[in-house]
Amino acid sequence: MPDRSVAGPLTDPGPSHPCGGTSPRTGEPDGRPATAPGCNGRVTAPPDDCLARNEWICGAYLSSRRDILWGAVLQHLQLTAVSVLIGLVIAVPLALAARRWRWAAGPVLGVTTILYTVPSLAMFSLLLPVYGLSASLVVAGLVLYSLTLLVRNILAGLRAVPEETRQAARGMGYGPVRLLVAVELPLALPAAMAGLRIATVSAVSLVTIGAIVGYGGLGNLIYSGMNTYFKAQVLTASVLCVVIAVAADLLLLLAQRLLTPWTRRQS
Amino acid sequence: MRARHTAAVTLLLMLAPVSACTTGPTLENQEEVTAPPGDSKHLTIGSAGFTESDLLAQMYALLLDRAGYSTEIISVTNREIYEPALENGQIDVVPEYAATFADWLNAKKNGADATPVGSPDLATTMKALRALAAPRGLTVLDPGRAVDQNAFAVTSAYAAEHHLKSLSDLGRSGLPVRLAAGDECVQRPYCAPGLKKTYGIDITGVDPKGVGTTQAKQAVQSGRDQMVLTTTTDATLDDFGLVLLADDKHLQNADYLVPVVNRSRAGSEGVRTALGKLNTVLTTKDLARLNEQVDSWRRLPEDVARTYLRSHGLIPGD
Repeated sequence: MPDRSVAGPLTDPGPSHPCGGTSPRTGEPDGRPATAPGCNGRVTAPPDDCLARNEWICGAYLSSRRDILWGAVLQHLQLTAVSVLIGLVIAVPLALAARRWRWAAGPVLGVTTILYTVPSLAMFSLLLPVYGLSASLVVAGLVLYSLTLLVRNILAGLRAVPEETRQAARGMGYGPVRLLVAVELPLALPAAMAGLRIATVSAVSLVTIGAIVGYGGLGNLIYSGMNTYFKAQVLTASVLCVVIAVAADLLLLLAQRLLTPWTRRQS
Repeated sequence: MRARHTAAVTLLLMLAPVSACTTGPTLENQEEVTAPPGDSKHLTIGSAGFTESDLLAQMYALLLDRAGYSTEIISVTNREIYEPALENGQIDVVPEYAATFADWLNAKKNGADATPVGSPDLATTMKALRALAAPRGLTVLDPGRAVDQNAFAVTSAYAAEHHLKSLSDLGRSGLPVRLAAGDECVQRPYCAPGLKKTYGIDITGVDPKGVGTTQAKQAVQSGRDQMVLTTTTDATLDDFGLVLLADDKHLQNADYLVPVVNRSRAGSEGVRTALGKLNTVLTTKDLARLNEQVDSWRRLPEDVARTYLRSHGLIPGD
């Protein structure tokens, strides 16, 4: 529920009705034709606050929409996190397959790249008959978009593992699974994490397109704000988007440094 | 573009073995829906994402809450998205415009070039709309008093000087009129051609500044143009010193506001009664005023809708 202590009293059309006609109709559902000619339905003078003045930065916007903003941020974070995680779960096997079998690399990279070129509006419209109006629709679209970034970077990381390192591991008696888990994947991490960071940041911005089906996180607010030229709403929601993207990027960078302590000593 | 989409569809079908679902209820040749009216207690209300639609969705939700339903609102961006969802029951109630929706369904059924079925006459429009909606499992409830249709405005000074109250007056005056409107106005029967033919107005040109935009209104205010095309629920006319001229020969289509419901989930008498309460109350001018509070004053649609319903005794006060 939004905080109505700010907006509530100002929207009350009841008292101070200069045009006559509409005000005292409470309890008389069969109202008369509303207003005097030329009055054009105006009942109260516009309230004089930063909302009515349409200022870019507006405290009343933040206080009256606090719950709405919070809900949008949470939805934005959920959609981003779920999409990137699912994308990662799909991308790792695809990259491994492309690494393992030469013939698989072409189709895997080709398909994911073509998916990436589908315009986002078209992507969501195409998925609509499959998923209906739901958050899964947005997640599915974002997963498909994240694939190309994730697969390419994980694959690049795996391919960059020096052949000598691999042979050394085999010489020490490592089997294929242990080689992968203990040697190849850790060495592929920096490149893979770079892909993950790009995929995450681009997911944060792509979530906003979900507004076309009502699941766009902060995009819902940006979209409706654009329609009515609502400066405070567009700016606030956009800034929050950027904050989420930067925070997610820094968080992943931190995770990468913790996961790959050996890379720090080199430079 | 098209080839790219086709490729994408093919790829999607390859990746996800869900092809059985892709022939969902959105396709044209679906079976006629004959399920009896249902009465689900939890209803989803769709909004088309613009202010007036948001306001009506909020009012519907509050009225249905009052009648003992639990409701949620989902806001999407256009009819292409919410109409299929309304047919398959993901959305149960939407606010619609009678003539526009009738023409939209007609185009969906008979192709984009089909002869329009929406007309200036409300009864004819409603009959056509119900005939198109019923086979899709949709019930069109009764229209109220509020109508959001195209309308023409001039400055109040111009109206006073030439004694204009209606478009007929303007036609009789023989004044040359430059019209600020969308560029499609040159062709549309309700716009320039209709003004010439039905009202005999001397339209000297169409200034393509868009329908009811600030620029279009400023052009009339400054005297560059004489008349502007806008809508009946435009609440900013006063700010520009504009007044509407009456459409006394009914050139405009009957775009009355009607609730459209999914019959198998919200086709009950309970929903009809709850939403019907708005019909005798909400006027076009009320709607203009509510739009203004959201668009110009930037109040929350939910608060504006609640205050309005309370002030008319449709929902209890605090």
